[in-house]
Amino acid sequence: MSVIYLGDRETGKTSLALELANPNGQYVKVLSPDYEGLKALLYDDDEGRTRPTEAAQSTHDRSLDIEVVVPTRRKTIYTEWIDTPGEIWRPNWQKNNANQWNKFLTVAQSCQGVLLVVPPYREIVSQGADINPDDFVTQQQWIRRFDRWVDFFQNDCSQIKHIALCLNKADLLQGVDLKREAQKLAYHPQNSRMNWMQRNDYIFKRFFRPVRRQIAQLNQRTSGLSVKCFITSIYNRELLELPWIYLGTFLKGNS
Amino acid sequence: MGNICIIGPRASGKTTYLAGLSYFAEAKGSGRNYTITPVNEDSKELTINAENTILQGLSVEPTRLGDGIQTVDDLPYYSFVIEANRGLFRPKTSIQLNVRDYPGEVFEQIINANEEDSIHEEFIDECLMPDVDGGLLLFTEWESSSDRFYSQLMARFLEMLDERGRLDNYRLAVAMSKCERGEIWPGRLDPEIDLFGVYLKKTLNILKRGLPPKNLRFFAMSTFGVLGKYNPRPNRVNAFGSDGRASILRDPPCWNPYNLLEPLYWLNGS
Repeated sequence: MSVIYLGDRETGKTSLALELANPNGQYVKVLSPDYEGLKALLYDDDEGRTRPTEAAQSTHDRSLDIEVVVPTRRKTIYTEWIDTPGEIWRPNWQKNNANQWNKFLTVAQSCQGVLLVVPPYREIVSQGADINPDDFVTQQQWIRRFDRWVDFFQNDCSQIKHIALCLNKADLLQGVDLKREAQKLAYHPQNSRMNWMQRNDYIFKRFFRPVRRQIAQLNQRTSGLSVKCFITSIYNRELLELPWIYLGTFLKGNS
Repeated sequence: MGNICIIGPRASGKTTYLAGLSYFAEAKGSGRNYTITPVNEDSKELTINAENTILQGLSVEPTRLGDGIQTVDDLPYYSFVIEANRGLFRPKTSIQLNVRDYPGEVFEQIINANEEDSIHEEFIDECLMPDVDGGLLLFTEWESSSDRFYSQLMARFLEMLDERGRLDNYRLAVAMSKCERGEIWPGRLDPEIDLFGVYLKKTLNILKRGLPPKNLRFFAMSTFGVLGKYNPRPNRVNAFGSDGRASILRDPPCWNPYNLLEPLYWLNGS
């Protein structure tokens, strides 16, 4: 029963996983490994950031025991958390590392759920003194990247059933007050202000309209795949947990 | 009663129907006169999941062949006991509902099943076994283009009934599911004439010609229902961005399914 993190380079996949293990969780708790152990593995103190995931290997399998509280029960999910280096999405890398690429495909095809992490695009990033717009792709590039995700899921990975699409680094978005957004979107087992459909509509309409066509294509029900939209940030626990609670609803647990 | 099969094409709402049926008896203020007790693991799981998915704005996952499901035995098998109180002067009814949750594609492919596809063979064998009293058949499309496909499907189904000697002793409840849809909601009161007779004529004729009248009846059902007695808007929305086949409950507090039990009563012989 696996969940895989996918995304291009520098989108924050490793940081998201590391932060999930932070012990102050509410409805999602990482039972093992513990935060400190994981941090020693993934975090570079000198650089003050997570280490880039090594591309010498296409997948890095680490198991993660996660407890998710869904409305009617507490569910423990043993998941192979699979981290992928961003490089592997470059056609060149795939060509030069055919074996590794195939190995990755085999793993990806057996997964139950995907956390697809995408960065914000230049047009929606707020204009701040410490933010360099050149660090972000343009909307057009972002859309083009999505076409390739559609190809990947339709051609190479058609068995996947659930994609949690995460627009990461939500703290950098224009007009987004993390705390306020989190209050609106937050999950509470019995009395959330929004349900999954409403959350998805809200996020989709605000941030994902440019890729409306691509998401509709993925959602074609004949394939059984369903995409739900999220925003995430390591600086907000509620938002960080949402995609996992969503996936947790469907993943088989050992309750 | 023995066994009932629930069959129907893809996305006709089979799993959602079972989830709704199992959950709804427990719903607060539902006012339903029935209790439903899940008696095996799969059915307990289904009831719990109904609450975590339908009530939280998610759609129930379709049952599909693949990964874990290779043979009939890998499919979810639900077993419920339904106790219904049908009114002052009518006896209490107890229904034992044992159903296997077949993916729609298995049913759709009976038209051109070949020898190698053992799951189709097993599916039909299991559905038409001597101890199966009857089937609840869910249809969902009503546009006239689907009439041709459904009628071919039914012609083949009748042949299979015949091959197994069940043509005269198999009860078939044919239901138009998801009848909360505005176009067909007005036809729910007399579905044989107003739904099947209008939209699925060919299918209706084939069935009526093939089965004895006492063993065939038409129903209209809706797992999600409409918003209220005076508000016939469907209590359902299509999942965003999908081709409209995944359905989500619009307003959980107004959840009031339509006609979920009637076909079961009839199949049960009352």
